[in-house]
Amino acid sequence: MKSLSCYCLILLLTSFAASADVVVVVSAKSTVTHLTAEQAARIFLGKSNTFPDGGNVVPVDQPEGAAIRDEFYARVASKNASQLTAYWARVIFTGGDSCPPKLLEGNAAVRRAVAGNPNAIGYIDRNALDGSVRVVLDP
Amino acid sequence: MNTIFKLVVFFVLVAGIANAAELGQSASAEFGAENTDKTTQPMFKFDGFGSLGVNHSSQRLGDYVLDSTLPKGAGRSSDWAAGNDSRLGAQLTGNFSPRVSAVLQVISEYQADNTYTPVVEWANVKYAFTPNVHVRAGRIVLPTFLNSENRKVGYSLPWVHPPVDLYRVLAITNSDGIDATYSFEVGEAAHTLKALYGSNTIDRPTSISTSHNLWGVFDTLEYGPATLHVGYQERMASSHSLLTGIDGAWIKNSDLSIGASYDPGNWFAIYQWIQRQSTTNLTAMYAGVGYRINKFTPYMTYSNNGRSSFVPGFAAPTAAAIVSANKSQSTVSAGVRWDFMKNVDLKVQYDRVQLSDSSNGYLINLPVNTVLYGTTFHVISAIVDFVF
Repeated sequence: MKSLSCYCLILLLTSFAASADVVVVVSAKSTVTHLTAEQAARIFLGKSNTFPDGGNVVPVDQPEGAAIRDEFYARVASKNASQLTAYWARVIFTGGDSCPPKLLEGNAAVRRAVAGNPNAIGYIDRNALDGSVRVVLDP
Repeated sequence: MNTIFKLVVFFVLVAGIANAAELGQSASAEFGAENTDKTTQPMFKFDGFGSLGVNHSSQRLGDYVLDSTLPKGAGRSSDWAAGNDSRLGAQLTGNFSPRVSAVLQVISEYQADNTYTPVVEWANVKYAFTPNVHVRAGRIVLPTFLNSENRKVGYSLPWVHPPVDLYRVLAITNSDGIDATYSFEVGEAAHTLKALYGSNTIDRPTSISTSHNLWGVFDTLEYGPATLHVGYQERMASSHSLLTGIDGAWIKNSDLSIGASYDPGNWFAIYQWIQRQSTTNLTAMYAGVGYRINKFTPYMTYSNNGRSSFVPGFAAPTAAAIVSANKSQSTVSAGVRWDFMKNVDLKVQYDRVQLSDSSNGYLINLPVNTVLYGTTFHVISAIVDFVF
């Protein structure tokens, strides 16, 4: 029994260690203060071109295979990497009404791009936060 | 191939005009895209998709085909047939300005003339008045049914192919003309409303069908994991027989469709119902579920199409017409999708096809006077899908 609880504890700890702590951010210059997971999913899946207040939005993504990307889409859109690829295959090859967000490598690059554009939105690890961006969703 | 060359020239011209039109305009302000920004997309984008699939049918007296455009399939003509599910598609998208973009899609697949000659599936220019309102002109995809737009992109489908009993009833997939799309949100629900007008010509093994005054209105409603699609499409169609040289009468064809899907992540359910009317009236439906276990997605589908009834107001049908109009059949399918590597999947599927007691279903190339009414046959399919 003791070994079982030990095992459970290790499992719990490793699962925490494996998951990045993702937060969704906009520029500190943006007027947007809060988004729901559904609103964020719609923006990153190209279903919505605007913030809920009507302002235009430019999402910035992280590269395929990045743990933080998998974490973000699992939490916000309930999609794993294959489901996301299948989703975009469907969108791209049905007339290209929207295309996947631009990719930037790493939290720092995303934070800089988002900080510099009041229309941009991205997701980064909580550890990479600074005053140039504002958290609008903590999924 | 000459057509493709013309389209490339057309693409370059559109790019030039679009750039000229943007000079001195501040469209970028409204669209929130600064051209020097790191968040903007590249101007040209090349994407591709493809499938390599084979079918085997236990019914050796006729061919099992997915579309009325196909001359041969699995069963009588060959033990294993690759024509139903194999294709290669390439797509070039040009984002010339925040308002102007264009798309060219070329597909190579098995077709009526028994070749895989590439054809232009789409070639259109899009002009966005606002981020939520746009018009397109050129060859445009038809959103007739829930999965009509992506029916050829195997990787985007949970199945080897969309359920045959329903998708087999309408072979046309694009329209030469215009469409307009308006996206709007009601609370957390998103509507995409589309209206379309155009024409289409399609080659079948022994005929060429032309559709004029093709129009339709379509609404897709998305609410969280739920999607609802409602569409109505109408056209005047005539068929030119390559055997007799006779042009058929112009007949009004209409397709009404309701489809719904629910996909919260670990599982999905999908349902669709359609009613199609020309000189005959028929309905078809399917319902399916799937469950995702890591990289595996087993699924099951039931589909059927009903017995055709003749619409009053036309000349009384001949006995032969009554027999050939009735394609009633039902199918139980079970399969599994395996996402075994990045951007590639493998699917295997088993179909049990039950012909109704008065029809040979959708089997083609049957010997004269063959009657398979009420019989059952089995189809096994395997496919590898990829996107790049």
